[in-house]
Amino acid sequence: MNRQSPIALVVDDEVQIRRFLRAGFELEEFVVHDAATGAEGLRIATLKVVDMIIIDLGLPDMDGAELVQRVRSWSTVPIIVLSVRSSEEEKVRLLELGADDYVVKPFGMAELLARARAAMRRHTRGTIGEPVVKAGPLAIDLARRVVSLDGSEVQLSPKEYRLLQVLAQHAGNVVTHQHLLKEVWGLTHVNDGHYLRILVRKIRSKIERDPTQPRLLTTELGVGYRLAQ
Amino acid sequence: MAVGDHTIERARGAWMPHAGRLAQAAMQVWHRGRPVLLSFLLVAATTLLLLGIDRVFGIAHVSIAYVLPVLVAATMLGLVPALVAAVAAVAVSAFFFYPPIYDFRVASPQQLIDLTMFVIVAVTTGQLAAAARANAVRAKEREAEIRALYNFSRRLAVATEPAEISAAVQDHLSAMTGRRVVYFAADQPASPSDRRQSGPSIPNAIRDAVDRLASARTADGLTVADAETGTRWLVRSVSPRNPEYGLLAIDMGDASDGEPSAMHARIDALLADATASFERLGVAHAISEARLRAEAETLREALMGSVTHGLRTPLSSIIGSASILVETPAVAADERSANLVGIVRDEAERLDHDIQRLVDATRISSAGVRPHLAWADPADIVNAALARQRRGLAAHTVELRLSEDMPLVHVDPVLIEQALAQILDNAAKYSPPGSVIRIDGARRAEQTAIAVRDEGAGLTAEEAARMFERFYRGPRSSMTTTGSGLGLWIAHAFVSACAGRLEAASPGPDRGTTVTMLLPAPSIAKLSASGETYE
Repeated sequence: MNRQSPIALVVDDEVQIRRFLRAGFELEEFVVHDAATGAEGLRIATLKVVDMIIIDLGLPDMDGAELVQRVRSWSTVPIIVLSVRSSEEEKVRLLELGADDYVVKPFGMAELLARARAAMRRHTRGTIGEPVVKAGPLAIDLARRVVSLDGSEVQLSPKEYRLLQVLAQHAGNVVTHQHLLKEVWGLTHVNDGHYLRILVRKIRSKIERDPTQPRLLTTELGVGYRLAQ
Repeated sequence: MAVGDHTIERARGAWMPHAGRLAQAAMQVWHRGRPVLLSFLLVAATTLLLLGIDRVFGIAHVSIAYVLPVLVAATMLGLVPALVAAVAAVAVSAFFFYPPIYDFRVASPQQLIDLTMFVIVAVTTGQLAAAARANAVRAKEREAEIRALYNFSRRLAVATEPAEISAAVQDHLSAMTGRRVVYFAADQPASPSDRRQSGPSIPNAIRDAVDRLASARTADGLTVADAETGTRWLVRSVSPRNPEYGLLAIDMGDASDGEPSAMHARIDALLADATASFERLGVAHAISEARLRAEAETLREALMGSVTHGLRTPLSSIIGSASILVETPAVAADERSANLVGIVRDEAERLDHDIQRLVDATRISSAGVRPHLAWADPADIVNAALARQRRGLAAHTVELRLSEDMPLVHVDPVLIEQALAQILDNAAKYSPPGSVIRIDGARRAEQTAIAVRDEGAGLTAEEAARMFERFYRGPRSSMTTTGSGLGLWIAHAFVSACAGRLEAASPGPDRGTTVTMLLPAPSIAKLSASGETYE
């Protein structure tokens, strides 16, 4: 399909939130569709071409998780979830059901746009096969399996590389602890959270200017890690 | 316990009708006569022993030895058996030991005095011993009663809903009457607080009777026989004068058991006692209190639900819209407009934080905090808290010194981050703009210590002792700064829920404060030294 503007679908039952999201996205030259219920959102998502879906978890007619699951059953379109605070398990569950990222209400438009753009990049990278992911001074070449910092190669152990590779595939979006543990150590170590914390410390000591104040490999407390973009 | 008694009662009842009244009378005679028979046996045994000794050595004063069976009878069996033992002892010693031997007559007047003395001594000591025994038995009963009452009052004190009080009342009455008792609270007679009991279910006829009595509001009890099981139940109010104490159904056992009126009288007396203690313990008050608490809890949850949704949703729109407005070219070009939009956004965020604090406080005092413990890097927690407080700390110089060998902590990272953000918020609020806020993170034995030090108002001794109390605000600051007195209390509750500790220290007023958070860092962190375990 040949077109200029990305298309966003906003599914939220609060009219004011729909309005400001529309304004925010239109200011960034998005085309916006919106829906007040899960059923309507699902209908638009199937009938129209959309590049991204924003889903509020507190929908009146449908559990947000159900909507994510139903969209994921036939589409890889980026999904960003609008969540409330202090529900980390809920966020993890939605990410595992296939949501790409979340923002916690109340949120600023810049934050939502950054998450949305990262998810859309991940989506297009999957289709055109762009091999190098950049995060500030860090470049991860997924084809050559080489990581470099300011142009010089970083020596990594196989597990360290594997972790960065998984994060790079979702660059800019959060990746849950469980997903990382499963990808790096395998299913038997999904509950060994300390492995992950220690490995992340090691990687940070190699790629961060100040490992105690990371800028590239950041933490989402209680949820997972994110490679900055 | 009461259920067990009930089954024994029924097993006995099964053959009783066939044996008839005679067997029942025989049982009673056996029951009453047994102590007397035992006292005879005691005297006989003593006599045999004395005869043996007399055969070998010869005894001058036999009567003294008979004090023994009399005393034993008095202490073990009661006064009547003791008297029986005394008379038997006189008769036996006259017969066997005082000349003429094998004759009840006694020849010498000296020995007659001897025997008379014995009777006086035996009866007196027997009486004293019996009285002592009765006292001991009474004391033991009283102690058991007091213990039961104490347990009962404790259960009442901690009960948070009417059902718990009903269960306590039911258990208490079961223990007191020694029968199965089913308690029906006054406002819900149809659903008895019988859920906990695993005994046979309550017959429908009894339920009907309870309902009838509840609607009739009469003081008289009903005796209801259940046709199916053949048991008889007494259905009555706990106290005729206090209908709010509810109704009782008492299992009176098999319908053919005798003497119902005696048992009724005993239950009347017991319930009068129970009512007196209910009044003393304020059962009625406790019941209405528990009901109120349950209602308040529901109300609070509903309120919190509408607060979180009804207040925070518009705030989300305000903050989101403001964040867009700041970026629009028209606003960005005009400094005054940009400032105003900034105020809208900052104040809306502050309001949101305040609402979050109220939600947290409600969560702590209603449901308690349930932490989701996980391994976390303390540096991540500090960075997240700093990011959250970025705007509040903008006027201060933040110095961060995190040692690189801080062990991983095993906590709920989200709760700890919120607690630390609260501590940073306080440090910024109570220290002058431009001053330094320093954050140190280091290993301390099996813990990780995160200390926040400011150069602000410091603490008086009273403030240091009370700063983590709910609603506490220092007398110096309550005049000059706004606050709820909730923040540090919430921080303290969150840290405590993760098995951590908060400590506050200050050299004195206006000389700065250091708040230290100690978090559990169990030895799993040794893994970081070995490395191989996870690679």
